[in-house]
Amino acid sequence: MSIANVVRKDFKDVRRAKLVWAPAALYTMFMLLFFWGQSNGPANPNFYSLIQGLAGIGGVMLIPLIALVAAYLSIAGERESGSIKFLLGLPNSRSDVVLGKLLARSAVVATGLLVSFAVAVLAAMVFVPDMTFEYADYAVFVALTLLYALTYVGVAVSISAVSSSRSRAMGGAIGFFFVFNLVWNFLPVSPRNMVQFLADKLGTDVSQNTLDLIWASSPTGAYFGSLQFLDTPQFAGGMSGSSPFYLEAWFMVVILVAWLVVPLALGIWRFQRAELG
Amino acid sequence: MTAIETDSLTKRFGEDVLAVDDLTLTIEEGEIFGFLGPNGAGKSTTINMLLDFIRPTDGSATVLGHDAQKESGAIRRKVGVLPEGANVYDRLTGREHVEWAIRTKGVDDDPDEILDKVGLDHDDATRQAGGYSKGMAQRLSFGMALVGDPELLILDEPSSGLDPNGIQEMRDLIREEAASGTTVFFSSHILPEVEAVCDRVGIMNEGQLATVDTIENLRDSSDGQATIDVELGGIPDRIDLSSVDGVVQADVDDGTVTVVCEDPSVKVDVVTTLAQQAEVVDILSEDTSLEELFNTYTTGDAGSSEERVSDPAEVTA
Repeated sequence: MSIANVVRKDFKDVRRAKLVWAPAALYTMFMLLFFWGQSNGPANPNFYSLIQGLAGIGGVMLIPLIALVAAYLSIAGERESGSIKFLLGLPNSRSDVVLGKLLARSAVVATGLLVSFAVAVLAAMVFVPDMTFEYADYAVFVALTLLYALTYVGVAVSISAVSSSRSRAMGGAIGFFFVFNLVWNFLPVSPRNMVQFLADKLGTDVSQNTLDLIWASSPTGAYFGSLQFLDTPQFAGGMSGSSPFYLEAWFMVVILVAWLVVPLALGIWRFQRAELG
Repeated sequence: MTAIETDSLTKRFGEDVLAVDDLTLTIEEGEIFGFLGPNGAGKSTTINMLLDFIRPTDGSATVLGHDAQKESGAIRRKVGVLPEGANVYDRLTGREHVEWAIRTKGVDDDPDEILDKVGLDHDDATRQAGGYSKGMAQRLSFGMALVGDPELLILDEPSSGLDPNGIQEMRDLIREEAASGTTVFFSSHILPEVEAVCDRVGIMNEGQLATVDTIENLRDSSDGQATIDVELGGIPDRIDLSSVDGVVQADVDDGTVTVVCEDPSVKVDVVTTLAQQAEVVDILSEDTSLEELFNTYTTGDAGSSEERVSDPAEVTA
């Protein structure tokens, strides 16, 4: 199985790169600080508020950062150094390379995050011993966060597959983060606001549900939407009451999976046609 | 059976660059074939098309009977590749490189045996390749190419980065592989390297195959040509050798004029003519060799008797 050999080689290679672990170390540090901060916080800390805090900063900044740093050079870096000719001089197909890179980098990211999440449990025990730790919901939160990280790894590998140099891959990764995270979900010029603005100007009406779907259709929006799976009203957000199926938690997972599959398919398709001169 | 066959293989980059122009070439099994030419002649582009790294604009190629595009996987299972300008993986050890190649090819070679063969000892093999010299990295690449005892070795500039000793060892290894029946196709821009090991050579120039022949035949056809270096006192403004019949090529480097003559008798005329135009300080007459032939094939105005004054860097490339 050729993919397995690409994965094995790439994992061996990348696990020795310090830069790949730096964001995960940062995330672990952040976890420790976060829980340490809670020990001086309100007398009765709420588990779901803590998770909301973790999901907020993690979802916006840290998870994308960890995943993009771990994967944006996965293929473009080998193209620039020429080592891609070793990969493809051996009997590996181009799709083996893309999928192998995805699996190896996902393994690296998942390992880093799982360590961070384990540290967080210990930190919670030490710093906020009085808090009721909801292990089942924590597992759900961890699983959804890993899926979110995986979509970002997939996007980064895909960007890398269509980039002929390191600088282009970096530009692509930063551009994606900017457009589909900051702009899409957090800046006033977000597509949701644009649509609303246009609708107002044209005198038509766009339903709140449609606007919510637009907001939730980025990986970050879908990640936040998927946290509705947690058994608490904290994450129902604007999507309360009888929301249509496309705003339910399971559909948010569908959106995340689409963000994993579609860019990857495009990445493989383009990489198969790429000229590696 | 033929090892490599190209049929009107053509590669354009954009509108203007014709990197490989209508290349038709057959390499038989068991041959050591030298693919010779200056940098930028289209050698690597051809090799990249054989391995499906890039796709031809026109024409086709087969390697070991497999279509280079449709059956690239089958080709790469049977072929050992030493790519040009490919950096090894800095964070993997030498041994890990070879182990990876062994697993990927699905063979059960002994990595230590291969590393030993290419001259990497145990200490080197257990070190991360980021600390390797260019020569060691090149040996490691060659070792990876040898994995699985391939039917055909495709080596792109195998001696680049090697010291003279390393070049000699590389030659011996290539001969050894060839002796065991492996077909070897290797590219080089250095003539002596090819001359020393090859059965046949093909000379590429500006994307076209200038000639294909055995070393013996090329040597025969280069007989008769002679080169003379004439050192002049001071650098003259203008040298004119157009009145001398039988001048194949002339270059000026500082105060020295290098002239390739059709036959040795022309040398006297060259010196006489030069002496009329400048002060002749010294004369150095060289033996004829393949070098001149190579130069004639790989510089623009082969065979013309016109004076040619050009940038020496261009000629020695």
